[in-house]
Amino acid sequence: MRCYGFTPIQGSDSRLFHLPTTRLINIPNSNSRFSFSHSSFFTSKLVSATCMPPVSLRTTARAAVNDGLMTEEAAAASGLSFYELLGIPESGSLVDIKQAYKQLARKYHPDVSPPGRAEEYTKRFIRVQEAYEILSDPGRRALYDRDLAKGLHLAFSARRQYQSNEGMEERGEWKNRWQAQLSGLKRRSMNKDADGNLSWGARMRRQRDELANEL
Amino acid sequence: MALSAFSFPAHVNWATASDAQKSSSFSSHFLTWGGTNLLCPSQHKLNQVRKRSGGACASLSEMGDYHSQRPTTPLLDTINYPIHMKNLSIKELKQLADEIRSDVIFNVSKTGGHLGSSLGVVELTVALHYVFNAPQDKILWDVGHQSYPHKILTGRRDKMHTIRQTNGLSGFTKRSESEFDCFGTGHSSTTISAGLGMAVGRDLKGRKNNVVAVIGDGAMTAGQAYEAMNNAGYLDSDMIVILNDNKQVSLPTATLDGPIPPVGALSSALSRLQSNRPLRELREVAKGVAKQIGGPMHELAAKVDEYARGMISGSGSTLFEELGLYYIGPVDGHNIDDLTAILKEVKSTKTTGPVLIHVVTEKGRGYPYAEKAADKYHGVAKFDPATGKQFKAKALTQSYTTYFAEALIAEAEVDKDIVAIHAAMGGGTGMNLFLRRFPTRCFDVGIAEQHAVTFAAGLACEGLKPFCAIYSSFMQRAYDQVVHDVDLQKLPVRFAMDRAGLVGADGPTHCGSFDVTFMACLPNMVVMAPSDEAELFHMVATAAAIDDRPSCFRYPRGNGIGVQLPPGNKGIPIEVGKGKTLIEGERVALLGYGTAVQSCLAAASLVQSHGLRLTVADARFCKPLDRALIRSLAKSHEVLITVEEGSIGGFGSHVAQFMALDGLLDGKLKWRPLVLPDRYIDHGSPADQLAEAGLTPSHIAATVFNILGQTREALEIMS
Repeated sequence: MRCYGFTPIQGSDSRLFHLPTTRLINIPNSNSRFSFSHSSFFTSKLVSATCMPPVSLRTTARAAVNDGLMTEEAAAASGLSFYELLGIPESGSLVDIKQAYKQLARKYHPDVSPPGRAEEYTKRFIRVQEAYEILSDPGRRALYDRDLAKGLHLAFSARRQYQSNEGMEERGEWKNRWQAQLSGLKRRSMNKDADGNLSWGARMRRQRDELANEL
Repeated sequence: MALSAFSFPAHVNWATASDAQKSSSFSSHFLTWGGTNLLCPSQHKLNQVRKRSGGACASLSEMGDYHSQRPTTPLLDTINYPIHMKNLSIKELKQLADEIRSDVIFNVSKTGGHLGSSLGVVELTVALHYVFNAPQDKILWDVGHQSYPHKILTGRRDKMHTIRQTNGLSGFTKRSESEFDCFGTGHSSTTISAGLGMAVGRDLKGRKNNVVAVIGDGAMTAGQAYEAMNNAGYLDSDMIVILNDNKQVSLPTATLDGPIPPVGALSSALSRLQSNRPLRELREVAKGVAKQIGGPMHELAAKVDEYARGMISGSGSTLFEELGLYYIGPVDGHNIDDLTAILKEVKSTKTTGPVLIHVVTEKGRGYPYAEKAADKYHGVAKFDPATGKQFKAKALTQSYTTYFAEALIAEAEVDKDIVAIHAAMGGGTGMNLFLRRFPTRCFDVGIAEQHAVTFAAGLACEGLKPFCAIYSSFMQRAYDQVVHDVDLQKLPVRFAMDRAGLVGADGPTHCGSFDVTFMACLPNMVVMAPSDEAELFHMVATAAAIDDRPSCFRYPRGNGIGVQLPPGNKGIPIEVGKGKTLIEGERVALLGYGTAVQSCLAAASLVQSHGLRLTVADARFCKPLDRALIRSLAKSHEVLITVEEGSIGGFGSHVAQFMALDGLLDGKLKWRPLVLPDRYIDHGSPADQLAEAGLTPSHIAATVFNILGQTREALEIMS
């Protein structure tokens, strides 16, 4: 499903987020029934949205709030950046990240979770693991920091955005680009050695062509 | 490791939907806890479902077996020279690339060498040789360590098992080895310059071949590349520069703790070039406009397109455009369709001027262990292909490089002004160890030795104590900076020259034979060399203490001899200009410099059985010389032999100069120098090279006997 203007990669539609949302709107009481019809688009629920047309985002947002459940999206959307999740400052070094990850992974691993809370712990574990994955790769971390600075907390479902290898789509873009460049080269070469071009190479080429013509 | 077994198939069919697989193998690396194997189940299924469609298989079979026997390469077996490739289809070219890949892995596993870089350019090499007609068309490989596929395709496949060994193939391109190697490389960033020279030469001679220079993004950080591009843009001669971008700028692009982003602003510019998504729409608009204008209005359309490209392509390509090279890219460097299409187009265009094709590759591609390794298996010893484990010989002592790093760390603990500078060689110079301990005091400047030296000079002006860790051979590049910026102004910069003397498999391109000569002739420089690792610790301390003039010291490749190290790795500064006598003897004195002293000691024990007791002295300093020591040796012996692993004009010459001026040669003394011969010693094992150079203990002993007139004993020792 390729929406125009949206990328096919799930949840990674940065286009949606180009509008200046700085901080997430805090939902004071998730049990109350808010009506989001007027300022719907840019609620905190936006963060966890997958690639959907605008309407269903709104619906999801309203639905999630109206249910009043602490869903996973709500938890993720309540402002936990990867750094807060791991409990390290934003300038944390790789060693800090590793340590925090190991600690939390040990704590939240499903095998050692207290009975009855396995599912919650598993979800946390997955988030911790995702945080580590992105923060430990400097390239992806840089991308994440950039988005964080813009005020976007793209959580779980957006993990694909940060993959350095963004798949076939980018390669397809590259192809278009270099095809255009090649045609530009061809066009340019038609006029390149016009008499006005006085570069050494042009002069030598003209000379060579003249010699070839004479023969 | 069960997890990685599933990731092999991805790299067999990487042309098709491999990216999903690749991302999963990437993340499986982080699944240190077996718990949530989210991605493994799907991998497993894909593994079972996919079958290789007909035809002979490359040996990277579905299950990722790597053989210890030679892999089967039916298509590659039919190709000896590029001309045999011309009739292949694109599909067969892909198969050929697979086969070459497995051949490279097999060969390097048996001999050791540079693996990651060669794997990254397999498709590029195949595409280049398919489209162009070497050797008429010139293909230049910068540094040359990625030329293994090139050598396989150009008639040297049967000799690949001898690569980097004595009398075997060189590990870099070499003109005397084959006509397909058009330019000898080894140091980086030279191919654009050489390529431009070849293009201009072709123009002057009226020929019509193509010139292609392949250069990496690491090599692009060196100034010479810009000098060449600047000139190329100006001269406007037809040539193609291929920028092989794999985001690996330093060696290795990893600290001891994990990957680091490449140094330098250029790399981020290149990355920006690769990911230009937000500007996609603008591009579409521009294309639409150009289409509408189109038709006969070539020039206007071209202008619109160029303007649009300039706006969209970001600052990176504009850099190359400003230098006068037409930028094309980025291009997927592992896609043979794309590569051949582009190269064919560019080749067929009549007048192009200089063109730069930005190709994006992955170092170590196709061998999962290399892809996952932090250093991408840049340079490896012999290894087992199935497990990726290298066979590193167990040594009792560590390398001089490690000892130097530890010594510098110990000095830097007490003196916070000590900083370290290196040029993209964090692993090779041991500065990664220093970086880990003092992250803010270690500077990697990229492949820019000239800048490194002047940068150090600037640091010294501000009262810091810079240690430049640069290989002896790479210091050649920075010579003017050493003379003019450091020595002339008497700035206290310390030069730690690793890989001094003969270096083994890398050969003459990396051989540090000249550093004693070119350092010791400078008026203000203190020049010293340790004879073993304990001396190295003391000399690092001495260099740290010399604060009023520049100093340098040299140490070889290889491991220490096993002497006691100073406590806490902290050396004690030696008195400058003081050597020491190790063995007191009579008649013949051996005055060694650097690790040649060990050969002298060995020679002394060889002649002992013949009743001769030699004096062996360690000069330690070439500048200032220990004059008292030399005088006493000259006066009490008949023969003085100076031994060093350096060229003529070095330590021996300085001793001779002093003795001549002091009148010591006017009497009965015989002085003989033992230096590296006046020719380049080819690559090989260190022992072979030393024998070829004539500096083994046996050679020294034979020299002693020859001078004493005991030629029988000399012959005896040598056989």
